[in-house]
Amino acid sequence: MILILVVILVIVVATGVKHLFRMGMQQGYAPEQPIAFSHKLHAGDNQVPCTYCHYGARSSRHAGIPSSSVCMNCHNIMEKQTVEIERFKEAAQLDQPLVQWNKVPNIPDFVYFNHSRHVMSGAKELGENPNDTCVHCHGDVKNMTRIEQKTELTMGWCLSCHREHANIPTFTLERAAKRFSEAPKPPTGTDCASCHY
Amino acid sequence: MSDHRQGAKDKLVVLGTRRPTAYWKSTDELHNGVVDHGEFPGGLPPITVDYAPPAEGAVIPTGHDHDHDHGHDHDHGEHDHEHEHDEPGSDGPNRRDFLTLMGFSVGAASLAACRAPEIKAVPLPVAVEDMVAGVPNFYATTCGGCASSCTLLVKQRDGRPIKIEGNDASEIFGGGTCAAGQATVLGLYDNERLKGPQWKGKAAAWAEIDEQVTTSLRQITAKQGKIVLLTSSTNSPSLRALIARFLKEYPTARHVQYDAISASALRAASAQAFGKPLIPHYAFDKARVIVSLDADFLGTWISPVEFARAYAHGRRANGPEDAETLHVQFEPGMSVTGSNADQRVPTLPSQLGAVAAALLARIGKLAGQAVDPVTDPVDGKILDSVAAELWKHKGESLVVAGVNDTATQLVVHTINRLLGNIGKTVDLARPSMQRLGDDAEMAAVVDGINKGEIQALIMHGVNPGYDYADGANFAKALSKLALVVSTADRHDETNADVHALCPDHHFLESWGDAEPIAGYLSLQQPTIAPLYETRSFAESLLRWMDDTTTHYDYLREFWRTQVMPRQTGLTTFDAFWDHSLERGILDLGAPADAVTDGGAGDWKAALATIRDDAQKAGGDKFELALFESVGLRDGSDGNNPWLLEMPDPINKVSWGNVAMLAPQTAKKLGLSDGDIIALAAGGVTIEAPAFIQPGQHPRTVSLALGYGRSSVGKAGNGVGVNGFGMMHVARGGRRNWATDVTVTVTNRSEKLASSQTTFSLEGRPIVLETTREEWKEDKAKKEKGEPLLNLWNERLKGDKLWGMSIDLDACTGCSACVVACQAENNVPVVGKDQVQRQRIMHWMRIDRYYSGSEDNPQALHQPLMCQHCNHAPCETVCPVLATTTSSEGLNQQVYNRCIGTRYCANNCPYKVRRFNWYNYTTGNHAGYNMANPTGRLVLNPDVTVRTRGVMEKCSLCVQRIAAVKNAVVKRGEPMQDGEVKTACQQVCPTDAIRFGDQNDPQSGVAQRMNGERAYRVLDDLGTRPNVGYLKKVRHGQTT
Amino acid sequence: MDKLPDGVADVVWIEGSPTLGKVTADIAAPMEGKPGKLWYFLFALALLGLLDLLAMATWLVANGIGVWGLNNSVGWAFDITNFVFWIGIGHAGTLISAILLLFRQKWRTSINRSAEGMTIFAVMCAGLFPLLHMGRPWDAFFIFPYVPNQHGPLWVNFRSPLVWDVFAISTYFTISLVFWFLGLVPDFATLRDRAIGKIKKVVFGILSLGWNGSHRTWHRYELVSLVLAGLATPLVLSVHSIVSMDFATSLLPGWHATIFPPYFVAGAIYSGFGMVLTLLILTRQSMNLQRYITIKHLDAMAKVLLLTGMIVSYAYATEFFSAWYGGDIYEKYHFINRATGPYAFGFYLMVLCNVLTPQLFWFKKLRQNVAVLFVASILVNIGMWFERFVIIVVSLHRAFLPASWGMFYPTPVDIGILVGSFGLFFTLFLLFIRYMPMIAIWEVKTVVADQQHTDAALAHAAHAGEGSSHGK
Repeated sequence: MILILVVILVIVVATGVKHLFRMGMQQGYAPEQPIAFSHKLHAGDNQVPCTYCHYGARSSRHAGIPSSSVCMNCHNIMEKQTVEIERFKEAAQLDQPLVQWNKVPNIPDFVYFNHSRHVMSGAKELGENPNDTCVHCHGDVKNMTRIEQKTELTMGWCLSCHREHANIPTFTLERAAKRFSEAPKPPTGTDCASCHY
Repeated sequence: MSDHRQGAKDKLVVLGTRRPTAYWKSTDELHNGVVDHGEFPGGLPPITVDYAPPAEGAVIPTGHDHDHDHGHDHDHGEHDHEHEHDEPGSDGPNRRDFLTLMGFSVGAASLAACRAPEIKAVPLPVAVEDMVAGVPNFYATTCGGCASSCTLLVKQRDGRPIKIEGNDASEIFGGGTCAAGQATVLGLYDNERLKGPQWKGKAAAWAEIDEQVTTSLRQITAKQGKIVLLTSSTNSPSLRALIARFLKEYPTARHVQYDAISASALRAASAQAFGKPLIPHYAFDKARVIVSLDADFLGTWISPVEFARAYAHGRRANGPEDAETLHVQFEPGMSVTGSNADQRVPTLPSQLGAVAAALLARIGKLAGQAVDPVTDPVDGKILDSVAAELWKHKGESLVVAGVNDTATQLVVHTINRLLGNIGKTVDLARPSMQRLGDDAEMAAVVDGINKGEIQALIMHGVNPGYDYADGANFAKALSKLALVVSTADRHDETNADVHALCPDHHFLESWGDAEPIAGYLSLQQPTIAPLYETRSFAESLLRWMDDTTTHYDYLREFWRTQVMPRQTGLTTFDAFWDHSLERGILDLGAPADAVTDGGAGDWKAALATIRDDAQKAGGDKFELALFESVGLRDGSDGNNPWLLEMPDPINKVSWGNVAMLAPQTAKKLGLSDGDIIALAAGGVTIEAPAFIQPGQHPRTVSLALGYGRSSVGKAGNGVGVNGFGMMHVARGGRRNWATDVTVTVTNRSEKLASSQTTFSLEGRPIVLETTREEWKEDKAKKEKGEPLLNLWNERLKGDKLWGMSIDLDACTGCSACVVACQAENNVPVVGKDQVQRQRIMHWMRIDRYYSGSEDNPQALHQPLMCQHCNHAPCETVCPVLATTTSSEGLNQQVYNRCIGTRYCANNCPYKVRRFNWYNYTTGNHAGYNMANPTGRLVLNPDVTVRTRGVMEKCSLCVQRIAAVKNAVVKRGEPMQDGEVKTACQQVCPTDAIRFGDQNDPQSGVAQRMNGERAYRVLDDLGTRPNVGYLKKVRHGQTT
Repeated sequence: MDKLPDGVADVVWIEGSPTLGKVTADIAAPMEGKPGKLWYFLFALALLGLLDLLAMATWLVANGIGVWGLNNSVGWAFDITNFVFWIGIGHAGTLISAILLLFRQKWRTSINRSAEGMTIFAVMCAGLFPLLHMGRPWDAFFIFPYVPNQHGPLWVNFRSPLVWDVFAISTYFTISLVFWFLGLVPDFATLRDRAIGKIKKVVFGILSLGWNGSHRTWHRYELVSLVLAGLATPLVLSVHSIVSMDFATSLLPGWHATIFPPYFVAGAIYSGFGMVLTLLILTRQSMNLQRYITIKHLDAMAKVLLLTGMIVSYAYATEFFSAWYGGDIYEKYHFINRATGPYAFGFYLMVLCNVLTPQLFWFKKLRQNVAVLFVASILVNIGMWFERFVIIVVSLHRAFLPASWGMFYPTPVDIGILVGSFGLFFTLFLLFIRYMPMIAIWEVKTVVADQQHTDAALAHAAHAGEGSSHGK
């Protein structure tokens, strides 16, 4: 009797704690968008490179959501038109914001993240095409009909990568142990001020 | 919408937003705003831009973050939104384009901890080339803060100018600016500016007003009624040409230039001495001996940024072998310039003329010219040695006077002539056009208005209702006129009941040009679409001549016809225009009609008048010395919280001006700081809090001008007292001093908002100084002192070690860096009450200490910010690791980790940490620009806005370091030394601040850090700061 | 009366050696009957204070630390002063119960229970301030090391004395609480057995953990209390040593001193006993327990005050000496400023209360005069509060750079929270003496039992005397 109670209590507490630690995480967040834009269709089937529409990712901290005019670059000369594409055309001509997209990957205001830095240097380090570096954080967008947040986007998650590059173990104890064996590299990539200011 | 408005809008929108850079590739592109097609072949037909009012939902919705940890771009959505509600009046293309300009705006919605927050993102409808959200653009323009017309680079981010920087391309002004210039960007976002034109106090369309103004102007001219076009110093060639045209159009009109604080007498004296009213271009860098009679050329006089730069270049001691320089300052109260002088001589304002005369007498003797002597107003020995020094450095000395008295200025000119400085340190060929006001003419205008001789008055950039003696009556007298037009940007003291209010653009919204030095032109271009329904003055003038040309077209036309021919090299106008616009400056060399030192001027007569004055002003009565304040200047930007909160460089009082008295005087009157005293002279009485100012002449009271505005806005109204009332016109010059002043002590007293209350060093080795002799020894023995024993194990060092070195010998204390830091790092303004409670938030402060006697001490300025210790005391005590030292030597403060125990601040020996006592973005407590949606547009999106309860401090502009790092990664080449410039370094006119990598022995900062003069503050505590200082070098002393 | 055998007369701690039953009755009386007017009066006052605390704390959290008088130079003032003050108060309890228990001091029996209670409540008050003084109390959990967390993981800064505080104080609080409760168990049993009302029976029943007073129970009980006493004793020293390190480990002149740990511990005991004295005097008057809390108890505590007071005074002297002898200009200036600066009044108040006041206790008359003791004990409390104020504020307001010297002026909220903390403390304490046996019944009984032996001994001695005289 008491045993059962205890077990239940333990389970409840455990789950509670688990959720506490996942507080504010939005992994798997995939809201409905005002326009049923399919990345699968554009980036996947038609293989439009990511940084064609999100050109900000090459030069700016924001990848940016493309302007209607950018959409028109292609849709102007394509026969197949839908009502929604027409709406884009109109918006571009009226020079008015068309819709408010639901931003999917969000990081807090006190975190400075720069797309260009990651895309360009990422490409250099990994010897990849800048357009392929996106998947590391955004997942396999090419096969998403509706965009979903695939990764945690927590500080720990960011650090895991930053540490990997500075070859610093993720686990505190392991780090401590390593200090004895070898002189650790300067953790420039893991300085607080690389993201927080 | 009326046609002309349509036209105007098109252009403004197009200029301001569609192509904010304004580097047109072709006029067609200019008008159609062609979109960059990226990689896409073929491209689009130009999109025809049609302005319909925004559809519902064009507004970016917003919610409020649960916690105000946000700055960064996420704020914009919020701004736009509230901005909408802010002025429904100004609905229309401007505002909407301005919205879209926000581009990638996001408004944070409810942030329930577990649920995904709904954050909206609204893209820019039509992409704009070279305007990528999040990437700043820099535009060259000209500062409109004052008539000094410094050249600027304006940092524009997502369509909003957010930071003012000097334009390195300018060999005259350099990369520096002054504090007031830095703050102008906040003036742009003042939500108390007029939202549109008004006719007789009611909002009206531009068309109506133009109609009214034009007809009534025509009627008045028909009736031969006098029209006066009253402007502040106007050195814009295009505008001057336009005004000339206007005067032709309306023959009975006359153009009068009026400066609240003028150099009228200097120009008058030049007219006598050189045959042309002008202000010579002074070369402080060429002068080995500088004698200044109450000319605060490092703080406010004529062109402080340029002069400070030159002064530092000439005086900066690069080695003990450098030639000695000498700077002697005669002045009543201590000014920024005086605080830097090698020798300061407290002098009665009424005796400054006599000082000039006495010097002339002595130099005359040396020059073998008969000059009948005057009784020495100050210690004769000093005058002897000064004269001797001047004579020793004939041709490389300089005497300047800030006294607005023709006789004195004439004598000074004569001295410079005798010393053979004309053409060397005093350049007549390219005179300065930075002060053109004529007090006598202004007096005549006032007279004319009172007599009813003048029918129409058009005021631009002036506010006599505030800054002219008896301004209240001036404002009243205006009601007599048939037509009064004001282009003021707000309801000020003058335009309470004018007929037409035609608000001018802020200079950051406007086209224009300037000619600060004859033949040295600079352009002004908009960096944002006008926030409100304002219109540039030039355009108004055009309209009132029934000309529908836009200001932009007019300006281009002017440059095409008037300027381009004067230059050689570029052949096509577009190339020339783009080139000039990009650099912002154009040096055409000395003008053809250059003046050469011709006539002598009747300096004997001048001496006589001075002698009379000197005798008159005898006795033991007090004298009042009014001076231009470094922050507010003449008070025209009097609603600017940054300037209001900036502590005065000398007395360190913010939010108000004080009546400064000598210590002995205060003792005699039984006064202490803050006691209210009444100053009466010439029937005018003002009351101001007393302040005990070492170095003040015992028989003078000094009071800063620019304060005491009654109708400028919430922030500025009633801050301090207005001293302009005490000015009076004598011998054609508005005198900024008064004799026969009676000081009466009231029993009232107020608490001053002082940022520093202790002025003595208490014998502590904090600000170090040396002389050339000592320095030689140091150089000889090179001993750098034993490094302290270090009990810590060294932390891991990155490949860079950032460091900053501050040269106390170069720092003049002008405080530009303080405001620059505030602008760059979103430092909140906390207001008078909080400053009184010693809660000023400035990350960078300038400590000012005195040494020597109380009656005439030497001053030291020490800029102090976080010292970024390698062994930071703050770091060890923080329980949550919110502050740590980075591998690159930065002491990093993590706001979102901080829980606000304030332990770090307690343990910081430099007391540079700042705690957010309240939430300064809500306005519940001490909310200023950050608390209103318009004001927030100035925020730097790359720096977090701190919430209440967290600690903050100097980050050595880590966001700027990051920006350069990003650039380096992209371009693949290593970082250059000096590529990263902190905000304070960038703005410093004297290059007192260097920032860079200490690991690179070649870097400027490393060089300095290892120099003989280098030291670190409180190094003996073992904090090992990464910020170092260079000792002040005391130059040779006379007496 | 004839001379008594040695070591007998001075062990009479309970007057007029009552029967054991009477002891129970007397001590249980407050819980069973209605308390006197004085109690109600004090309770009303305390409750007011508590309300004031709630109001002020709400206002503080709603608006921000700005409502206090702090500024850029003075980052701590009343908040940490109160914290250290209350922690100090919290020392006497455990000291009395644990250390005196180990030393087998009989006189502790009547006072240890209330002293322990006081400790608990004082530490509660103290615990309030680290929370309130935070700029963002809602993020207070950051100072607990919890992994895994989302931050990578991110730990706390184990070098920071504030983190040590967290551990030290929570441990101290737990141990004190357990110790206190353990001591209550037998008495709860007694009360359970006396209880008439049903609820009381149940409540005390649960609280007494099925105590049956068997020999075995007693045996284990003694053992556990000894162990706990052993555990608690080092804590008494450690807690305030660690609190003192908040200051000692900094580099501020006036804080950066190696003598702080012993100096603070002594001060803590001093202030603790001061507060115990105040409370006991109040209690014995309001609950008429003069018989159990006798002049002798007060006298004993006065002696402790004298001793610790002297230690504290010595520490003051040492500070000045080392400042002068060390010759560090900043240190030197600080102590000159302490005695002559704008806050000199605080310094002299502290000297008056902590150095001069205890000197009264050289005289037995004064030691045994309740009125004098009461006033003195109040003075001690005031003095110790100001000691902390002087250490904290005077050091901060004029540190290294003259340019950033400033002044601290308390605001109504500062004062309100100080007063409020007393409200909280007294509310808890008054409820305690009303609803719990504020004297350890069973312990007193042991003493009484001893005394009855003593009486017997007396009687015997007297008898023997007679006999011998007879023999002539």
